[in-house]
Amino acid sequence: MKNIVIGRFVPGKGFLYRMDPRTKIISLVLLMASAFVIRNFTAMFMAIGFMALLLVAGRINIFRVLSGLRPLMYLLAFTFIFQLLFNTQGDLVVAWTLHYSPLNILMVTALVMLWFFTKRHVKFKFFFFLATLVGAVALVANLRLGPAFATGTLDIYESALTTGFFIVMRLMIIVTLSTVLTLTTKPTDLNLGLESVMSPLKVFRIRTEEMAMIISISLRYIPTLLDEANKIMLAQASRGVDFSEGKFKAKIMQIVSLLVPMFIISFKRSDELANAMEARSFVPGQPRTRLHQLTWGLADTAALVVSLLALTAVITTRVVM
Amino acid sequence: MAIKFNRVDFKYKGDDKKGYLALSNISLSIQGEGEFITLIGETGSGKTTLVQHMNALLVANSGSVDIYGIKVEKQAVKKKKIRLNPIRKKVGLVFQFPEYQLFEETVLKDITFGPKNFGVPEAEAIETAQRVIRIVGLDESYLDRSPFNLSGGEKKRVSIAGILAMEPDILILDEPTSGLDPMGRNALLKVFYDIHEKLNKTVIIITHDMNTVYEYAKRVLVMRDSYLVYDGDPVDLFTTKNIENWNLDVPDILNLMHRMEQDLGITLTSRPRSAAALTNALEEVLR
Amino acid sequence: MRIIEIDNVSFHYKAGTPVLENVNLNVDKGEWITILGHNGSGKSTLSKLLVGLLRAKQGTIRVANVELSETTVYDIRKKIGIVFQNPDNQFVGVTVRDDIAFGLENLQVPRGEMIERIEQYAQKVDMADFLNKEPHNLSGGQKQRVAIAGILAMETDIIIFDEATSMLDPKGRNTILSMMKQLNDEGVTVINITHDMKESLYGDRIVVLKEGRILKDDTTKVVLADHKTLEKSSLEMLLPLRVLRALEAKKVDNEKVRSYLWQLSLTG
Repeated sequence: MKNIVIGRFVPGKGFLYRMDPRTKIISLVLLMASAFVIRNFTAMFMAIGFMALLLVAGRINIFRVLSGLRPLMYLLAFTFIFQLLFNTQGDLVVAWTLHYSPLNILMVTALVMLWFFTKRHVKFKFFFFLATLVGAVALVANLRLGPAFATGTLDIYESALTTGFFIVMRLMIIVTLSTVLTLTTKPTDLNLGLESVMSPLKVFRIRTEEMAMIISISLRYIPTLLDEANKIMLAQASRGVDFSEGKFKAKIMQIVSLLVPMFIISFKRSDELANAMEARSFVPGQPRTRLHQLTWGLADTAALVVSLLALTAVITTRVVM
Repeated sequence: MAIKFNRVDFKYKGDDKKGYLALSNISLSIQGEGEFITLIGETGSGKTTLVQHMNALLVANSGSVDIYGIKVEKQAVKKKKIRLNPIRKKVGLVFQFPEYQLFEETVLKDITFGPKNFGVPEAEAIETAQRVIRIVGLDESYLDRSPFNLSGGEKKRVSIAGILAMEPDILILDEPTSGLDPMGRNALLKVFYDIHEKLNKTVIIITHDMNTVYEYAKRVLVMRDSYLVYDGDPVDLFTTKNIENWNLDVPDILNLMHRMEQDLGITLTSRPRSAAALTNALEEVLR
Repeated sequence: MRIIEIDNVSFHYKAGTPVLENVNLNVDKGEWITILGHNGSGKSTLSKLLVGLLRAKQGTIRVANVELSETTVYDIRKKIGIVFQNPDNQFVGVTVRDDIAFGLENLQVPRGEMIERIEQYAQKVDMADFLNKEPHNLSGGQKQRVAIAGILAMETDIIIFDEATSMLDPKGRNTILSMMKQLNDEGVTVINITHDMKESLYGDRIVVLKEGRILKDDTTKVVLADHKTLEKSSLEMLLPLRVLRALEAKKVDNEKVRSYLWQLSLTG
């Protein structure tokens, strides 16, 4: 429980690790914006190529990035299928007649059963699920076993495919870039970078330094609080609370018996911490010097230029073409 | 034998693949009645981890812990083959900070929380609460108060009452007296001693206070870097073992006896373990 | 030279239930004073008043000839540091280095000097090898040492230890106590708040608090010998004095043993 770290920083070497967090944050924003502007295939493929290059050059474990995408897979699939079904612009690409016959349905059921019982042995569960889904639709569309009691149609239009493709790709690029940022930047550096990047907001009386202090203290205390939550759960388990019990009433009681001590301990903690900070001359809003300083290097300038160029390029192509 | 550890290893999962080894090859037995055990050792030596195995809050990575005839093993617990609540009812564990367990609006509700989880009817649980609140040295007027408006010492007593109400055979207390002043500490130790004497329960106390160990314990367990390095009599521990290696202090009484022997040549025939006993022994020698 | 002057200070959270009443106390520069008292005697409140975390309802506090007030509190905090009881709740930084830096950042110490001071004081508390460690990898004693380094780095003249050893194991407690001794030898004024009579043996002077009032304020030897006060204070007398008193009650009179126990009662 002590080792959960927000953003999952993984120590490593590559050039991305040495880069100033400010560069990484700004570049992230620029590249994300570029991904949204892109509207043609060549540019999109170039963007994907660029991403791949970034991962390879940065010596980043691609599987880690992919595992960051995993929770997003079902959302992506849903978005794509939604497009397929409801986007009716452009040429008709696929026009299938779906054939619902008892035998066909039996086949589909068999396929689903097969998926259900074999899925735990398959490594890429999501792709297996997708393949089963496509297979089921293909079965109903192409097989004509026995008399159908009903028929339906599946029409897919060109724009559905392209729009779906772009949406999925954009989301993947955004998530990949964010993962690269958190993977290669220590939470404290990220915090420092964010504070620095947001500092112009001071004009609007947003107190960025204090926000950064709050984030920094949260980072410090998250492992402590998780540890505490674990201890409270053990203490309540000692008194017969079974945290694996699923009944609704039992669940409520479990949550209360965890949350009330959690709140009380946290309040006590924050009160003592506030005293300790104040006693060490911390005054909110007062200027402070910093031990950690960000250093801007040549690589940072270069990275920023590349990101800016990327954005300009996609905007230009979109305007021109 | 109520609790039996057989070559138990336990590792916490950690940053790296190695993890953090908290228990190594622990074998020991604890009786279900009549024992008064203190468990000592440096911070991080595995004391808390050890007692959390005694009521199956943690389960050994290898080896096994037998608790009242139930063999607690990793696979069996994972597959829910054994019910843990009967174990936890028999072996009550009081955590170091009462704040970890107190959550109800009134002291009464908090004390009856445990018994009710174990299926004790409400009326009976309330009766038990009225009984145990007196055992821990508070009176019944506390039952209607909020547990959060009590002093540190009172909170501690209520948290102990909450475990006692489960009527365990074995009562384990994790650093019950840390942070209390000497009067508060002595009063609480008296409570534990009475629970042990009058109710004939086995009491296990984790402590850093060597005076407590020397005066009260019938048996001492010493943990050092995940190993159980001593299991036996407290007098033997402090007189024959090299306790400095284990970063333990010498109890005041023993210290004073040594010095009087060295500086005054007064040798006592008995081994007094409390200030009163020491005075009596001195009286005998000096008269 | 007087460094702290507490003049007739009273404090209460709720009117009618005083926590401190008419406290008068002076501390000299370089002194080591022990404030002894039972739980709830008001000793921690006194330390919070001294660093301006609480404001006295009555009376004045002067630190290094400056009267504590809304405007001077920030200057006074540069002179007094405080190590609290719970090692976990005063560790502000993500790492040891960051934590020692925290106070220096607040004082706007330039970065170069900050780095030097961190090295210097981490070495002093024997934590130089742990600068990059995170708090959950440290023991309670080590965290308290970091807290001490954090205060030393701010170069304060006075350090209050508010039950700073009460959550530590014997080894942790002993290292903190010997560190306190070393600092005091080097001229730091030490105020140790505790309920452990044994810790008072290190200091020059003992102040006994009971229910918000000063019961006794005298040199360590005088207080340790004053069994009447100690019995009233709800504290535990040192073992030699307890045995001595018990022997006296039994009318066992052996001059050699009596004077020996007496001696031990004063020096531990």
